[in-house]
Amino acid sequence: MKPILNELRKIRFFDDYHEKQLETIAGISAIKEFKVKEILFEQYDELSDVYVLLEGCLSLGISLAKEKRIRLGTLEEGQLFSWSAVFSPYISTAWVMATCPTKVLAIDAKKLNLEFKKDCEFGFKTMSKIAQTISHRLSDTRFQLMNQLTI
Amino acid sequence: MLNDKNIYKPIRAKLTNVIDESPLIKTFVLVPEDKFSFKTGQFIELSVDGIGEAPFTPSSSPLVTEKIEVTVMKTGYVTEYMHMLKPGVYMGIRGPYGRGYPLESFFGKEVLILGGGCGLAPIRSLLYALEGIKDKLVKVILCYGSKTPADCIYKPLFDRLNSTEKFEAHRTVDKADEDWNGSVGVATTLLNKIKINIENSVAVVCGPPIMMKFGTIRLLELGYKENQIYLSMEKNMSCGLGKCGHCMMGEFFVCKDGPVFTYAELKNTPDIWK
Repeated sequence: MKPILNELRKIRFFDDYHEKQLETIAGISAIKEFKVKEILFEQYDELSDVYVLLEGCLSLGISLAKEKRIRLGTLEEGQLFSWSAVFSPYISTAWVMATCPTKVLAIDAKKLNLEFKKDCEFGFKTMSKIAQTISHRLSDTRFQLMNQLTI
Repeated sequence: MLNDKNIYKPIRAKLTNVIDESPLIKTFVLVPEDKFSFKTGQFIELSVDGIGEAPFTPSSSPLVTEKIEVTVMKTGYVTEYMHMLKPGVYMGIRGPYGRGYPLESFFGKEVLILGGGCGLAPIRSLLYALEGIKDKLVKVILCYGSKTPADCIYKPLFDRLNSTEKFEAHRTVDKADEDWNGSVGVATTLLNKIKINIENSVAVVCGPPIMMKFGTIRLLELGYKENQIYLSMEKNMSCGLGKCGHCMMGEFFVCKDGPVFTYAELKNTPDIWK
C-alpha cells in the first residue's frame, strides 16, 4: 500500500485530499502496467476501474467501425480517465491505448462508490473533481469541433 | 518609429528572402531603407505597390533592427499576391502601431503563452523579446496547438526553446497523422501537463478567435485573475491610427488602444471573440 500512497501524494488531482482519504484510495487501488499498443479498454466496454495515468503515454479515441480507430486526444501524467466506471451504466465512451510503456493507478470503482456512501465529504469532493474533469474534456471537444468547422 | 514626414507614407523595404513555413504560410524577410524598430506585440501595415496593404504583427525579434520578418498566411487578395513575390522586390512598411506587451510587468514572474494556428507568428517575436530579458523572468512556458502536424510552423523553434534555460515548449495537434507521436487535442489540453505558480504568473493568449475564447475561459478556471491575462486581439486593423474606425471593438480602437489588452479591459466588450 505504501508505494501506492507515495504515488497518490504526487498526483495533482488528489492535492487537497487529507492522509486518511489517500489511505482509503490506496486500499482499493492497484498499479497496472501496459505495453505499447496494448488496449486498456475499448469503447462500450463495461468498466470496473477509474484510472490515473502515472507514467507513460496514452491515446484516447472513438471507433467508427471495427479496426477504424479515430484518435481524439492524448492523456497527460496525473490525469484521471475512465470516469464512466463510477456512473451508471458504467460503459466507456472511448477507447484508450498505450502508445509507450505505461503505468497507471487503477482504483476499484465499485469499492470507491461504497467509500463515497461511508464518507459523504470524500464522495462529494471526488465527484466534484470528476465532474470538472468531464467538463474540461467536453469543453476541449467543443473547441476541437469548432476548430474543424472554422478556418 | 513612425515616418514623421507623412504618417500615411510607407518606408520602403527590400524583400531579401521568402521562407516557406507551410503550404499556406510564408515568412517574408525585409530590410527597411530607413531606421525602423518596433516593440513586441505592435503591428505594422505592409503594402505592395498597386495591390494594397494589410496589417501584420512582425514575427522577428524586436531586438534586431536591421531587418524585419513578417509571417503571412494566404487568406485574401493582398496576401495571395504577397505569396507570389520573389526576393529583390520592394514593399512598404507603415508603423509600428498600437500597444505591445508590457514586458516590465512580466519581471519576476512565470510567463505562460497559449497559442494556436498562425498566432505563433507574433508569439515568436514575443519569445525572442523574452529571451532577451530571461534573467528577469522566473520561467516561460509555451503551449501551442495547430490543426495538423503539417500546419505547425517554426518547427525548430520548439527544440531550441526546450534547450534554452528557463524556457519550455509544448505542442499538440487537433488531428494527428500516422507519424505523429506527440500530444493530440486542442492547445488547452496542454495545460494539464505544465506546472506553473499561477499566483506569480501572467498568461498571454494569441491565436484564432475560437482559441482566444476557450483559452481565456480555461485560464480563468485555473485561477488566473482578469488582469493577469493578456490577449493579442489582432483583428480588422486598417489605418493603424484610430481614424477609420474599422477595428472598433466596443469603446476601443484595436489599432491604437491594443492590439494587446488585458482580459480585465475587454471583458465587458460585446462580441470580443467574433
